Amino acid sequence: MTLAAYDESGVADLPDRTVVARRLTLWLGLLLLATMTGSLATGAASTSLWAAFGDLAQGRALSRVDETILWNIRLPRTLLGALVGAALAVSGAMMQGLFRNPLADPGLVGVSAGAGLGAIAAIVLGAMLPAGLMASVGTYLVPLAAFAGGWVTTLVLYRVSTRGGRTSVATMLLAGIALGALAGAVSGLLVYAADDQQLRDLTFWGLGSLAGATWGKLMAAAPIILLALLGAPFLARGLNALALGEAAAGHLGIPVQRIKNLTVLAVAAATGAAVAVSGGIGFVGIVVPHLLRLASGPDHKTLLPNAALLGASLLLGADMISRTVIAPAELPIGIVTAILGAPVFLWILLRRRMVVDL
Amino acid sequence: MSFLGQNIRVDLGRRAILHGVDFCAKAGELTAIVGPNGSGKSTLLRALCGEMAFSGRVAINGRDAAALKGWELAGMRAVLPQAATLAFPFTVIEVIRLGLTAGVSAGCASLPLRALEAVGLAGYGGRFYQELSGGEAQRVQLARVLTQVWEPVAHGMPRWLLLDEPVSSLDIGHQLMVMQLMRDYAARGGGVIAVMHDLNLTAMFADAVSMVHRGEIAACGTPAEVLTDATLSHAYRCNLRVNCEPPQGGTWLLPHTATL
Repeated sequence: MTLAAYDESGVADLPDRTVVARRLTLWLGLLLLATMTGSLATGAASTSLWAAFGDLAQGRALSRVDETILWNIRLPRTLLGALVGAALAVSGAMMQGLFRNPLADPGLVGVSAGAGLGAIAAIVLGAMLPAGLMASVGTYLVPLAAFAGGWVTTLVLYRVSTRGGRTSVATMLLAGIALGALAGAVSGLLVYAADDQQLRDLTFWGLGSLAGATWGKLMAAAPIILLALLGAPFLARGLNALALGEAAAGHLGIPVQRIKNLTVLAVAAATGAAVAVSGGIGFVGIVVPHLLRLASGPDHKTLLPNAALLGASLLLGADMISRTVIAPAELPIGIVTAILGAPVFLWILLRRRMVVDL
Repeated sequence: MSFLGQNIRVDLGRRAILHGVDFCAKAGELTAIVGPNGSGKSTLLRALCGEMAFSGRVAINGRDAAALKGWELAGMRAVLPQAATLAFPFTVIEVIRLGLTAGVSAGCASLPLRALEAVGLAGYGGRFYQELSGGEAQRVQLARVLTQVWEPVAHGMPRWLLLDEPVSSLDIGHQLMVMQLMRDYAARGGGVIAVMHDLNLTAMFADAVSMVHRGEIAACGTPAEVLTDATLSHAYRCNLRVNCEPPQGGTWLLPHTATL
């Protein structure tokens, strides 16, 4: 895929990338529909989506088992996978726009590490909670703690890097690395204190998985992620202008500080919620925006919606692989995204020299 | 109508960069800000465009700049930074379209191409910005800035171009072209304020000159009034003489003799 074809005078005849990007939106929408259908149709159980459709079409009721598998196991998992994938990809794209750096990622500024610390603390220290409390929060303790961890990290980060109403992006990046390291160290301490069963839980949580998807988790994460996703397009114009630098964006009439505030808020919410329900799934936030920038340019107006669609499809695809490769057991999805994502990432870096700076 | 700065004071840490400077530029004129390195001329421009914290007052067309919203300011004046970096692989036309983000010309789709032609880069729209030479990139940024305030007069009010060293990385031909572009903008009723290093081009094209020296205005007036032996020699700390041929032969070249 070449980005620009040059004629002999050296003048590029590049097609209008806005048109390319819009066409891409359509294709990515179809891809998402296909992967969602595929995700509903595959699984460890032999239940066939098509047979179920056939039954429903002829007015026959589904068997209890089929209904449970399709309605209570596969559907929430598919929807949650799509939401998490979209949240991770859009968060990555927004963070990269804010930091004006194609390598920025919620993982980089410590948001993911903070969420991880929350989850680890919940797994290791949760057992010390009174039994009554444990019974009432129960399964929601880990996601809640992860979400809280992500939020607290973001707030501290923001507090450190904002002075006199102005946020320094460079300070934020450095502070994020420091906070991430701190969260990692405290997590390490907790791991040291954990018993064998907890260690196993920790490891699986850290690798990420959609296996625990329930309607309850979906309903908890969906409003937060959807709010961030639907709000993202309103930041697109500002993020485009920020590519010129903060001062130049301000001269274009962009309310720079408000754009920065809202972007950080949206990223913290979406990442926090995604990590809370699915654990640490890497590479989606970096690879998806990169691929889209290569295909149709860096305009955030189309980049953000396309990232949501491709991120969702990618995660559902990875989840299908993780469910079927060693069925009936499951591979943690974080392993699949890393195995698929890391080579793609390296390939992008190698390509860099041939095209232009990403 | 004017672009006014009153008692502009800028402190960087404990050091004062500008000590209460008064500045005035008239619409319909090209006003140059000149001065040696580190004199505070760029700082003055950055204070005038609100990029830098300062004490004092800036008024555009009689309205206090501090009371204007970002988008209102963006419709009245555009700012060309000294060095512009760009994140992500935008194409030239995409960069210029960012200028349409603001201002009364927003939504006029043909403007970016006309602006590109005005800076002598017709046909460059599909190139990647990062592949351009320094001088080409500077002209693309100028085209973006022009797009933002394309009509020199809007709603009966002049609009302003604030340019920080707009010709610094251009060859002599393009310098003349861009200076002529600025003159035309002023001739059609707009105001142009430019930080300049090239004193010959300043003498040729500017209607008014403010010389900044050690954070104060050392002189202001027409080029003939400001660019004198005494003022220049004092500010630039070397013995300078205007309108004087080199003492012994050799080759020398002035932009004045060029015809576009």
